[in-house]
Amino acid sequence: MSPDDPRYGPEVRRRMAGLAGAGDLPPGGDLVRATAGDREQGAEVVLQVQVTAGRAQQLRFRAFGCPHFLAAASWLTERLRGAGRAEFSDWDWREAATALEVPPAKYGRLLVLQDVVRAVAGNWPGDGESTV
Amino acid sequence: MSAVVYLDNAATTPVDPRVIAAMLECLGTEGDFANPAAVAHEPGRRAHRRVEQARAEVAALVGADPAQVVWTSGATEADNFALLGAARFYAPRGRHLVTSRTEHPAVLAACRQLEREGFEVTYLKPGPDGIVSPGQVEAALRPDTILVSLMHVNNEIGVIQDVGSVGRLCRARGILFHVDAAQSAGKLPIDVERDCIDLLALTAHKLHGPKGVGALCVRREPRLGLVPLLHGGGQERGLRPGTLATHQVVGMGAACRIAVEEGDEDRVRITALRERLWQGLVTLPGVTLNGHATQRAPGILSVTVDGVEGESLLYSLPGFAVASGSACATTSAEPSYVLRALGRSDRLAQSSLRLSLGRYTTSGEIEQAVQAIRAAVERLRAVAPPGTAT
Repeated sequence: MSPDDPRYGPEVRRRMAGLAGAGDLPPGGDLVRATAGDREQGAEVVLQVQVTAGRAQQLRFRAFGCPHFLAAASWLTERLRGAGRAEFSDWDWREAATALEVPPAKYGRLLVLQDVVRAVAGNWPGDGESTV
Repeated sequence: MSAVVYLDNAATTPVDPRVIAAMLECLGTEGDFANPAAVAHEPGRRAHRRVEQARAEVAALVGADPAQVVWTSGATEADNFALLGAARFYAPRGRHLVTSRTEHPAVLAACRQLEREGFEVTYLKPGPDGIVSPGQVEAALRPDTILVSLMHVNNEIGVIQDVGSVGRLCRARGILFHVDAAQSAGKLPIDVERDCIDLLALTAHKLHGPKGVGALCVRREPRLGLVPLLHGGGQERGLRPGTLATHQVVGMGAACRIAVEEGDEDRVRITALRERLWQGLVTLPGVTLNGHATQRAPGILSVTVDGVEGESLLYSLPGFAVASGSACATTSAEPSYVLRALGRSDRLAQSSLRLSLGRYTTSGEIEQAVQAIRAAVERLRAVAPPGTAT
């Protein structure tokens, strides 16, 4: 990929450079964890959220997928910091599509992110693990 | 000067400076620019001599007689001409063809066209190693089979088909044998007489010649019938009319001559580099070779990297020109039909890389590639959910 590759917007390039938010949170407390997607289908994500006082204090992700998908997962860990359960429940993939200039062919992968965000809401807080 | 390490020589190769020099001699007012069919005057005769010299150079590369060489725009046209031209000519004899599922689209699309015209095509499934055995071909032959088409070297995985054995069994049954040699000519020995090949498709740009020119070698003894695709003047004995692009065919001739002179040396050096590349990658967990372990062309290495998504892997190699296992990583990310034919799942096909080496690939570039690929794989696996090969 060259810096002027038109397939990837600036936010995707910035995110892919560091993949901020990748990794795991330490277990314990009100840690919510959900997974979505299927590696066989090209996109799989695990989202971990540390909930404190009803708000997402910290988020981490692990993901398998294309650069748009990885960058969107990274973006999500900042976008939803401080959010409450209702914001997780209502989060819509189109926000990521716009922010990261995701091409329509990749929209299906963003739905996987929406699935994982809403699964976290379904487990909020401390409901254990949900798999979508 | 580009800093990118070019490892996509199976897609195309840079033109050898000696080829460029030969081509330039055919351009400009002082060059051999005239129409090579205009033999009534000296400039035309000079151009004609250059074309015929190039024809002899191409023929020498593949053990053919110069009279067998018909110029085309490349291997796609040569493949189409061979399949469509021969099938239409020999249709009264039979309407069945045999090929494999891993052929180049130039062959597969021509076969689809023939199916629309009422021909039947048997598409052989290669083994997990990418090889179509002569026995498979033999079992597929029917009394109405008129042509077998098999590529010499697969463009995605680099495996070498046993075209000599297939050619002999076709010749014994009076069935035409077409070989797409786009990836093998100049890189592996090939001989149309020894291997009983009736139609051989070639292109210049895979062997450090120019794009836009190729050739079809057509058996002459006994003469093989072809229905032309194009109609016009009588150039190329009426088989492929149109004014010849002298500089292009001279460039192809020069590329073939250099391949004859230096092919053995290139083959040894490139094979060693490819092996170094493979040894550098195989120690990564989850890395497997696509295609036969030893029956493979010198310059093509196709690997599957389990646990890494192909587009992200390509993205993570910004300083390298390599190909993925996707037909189109831009939109659909459709997995390679070749890798799927070998039994790879869609995911594994998409987690594949093709690295193809050429005359100008250096050992330093191979070391850079090994380090960069290893680092990219480790980084992507580190962010992947559990279950990834580590």
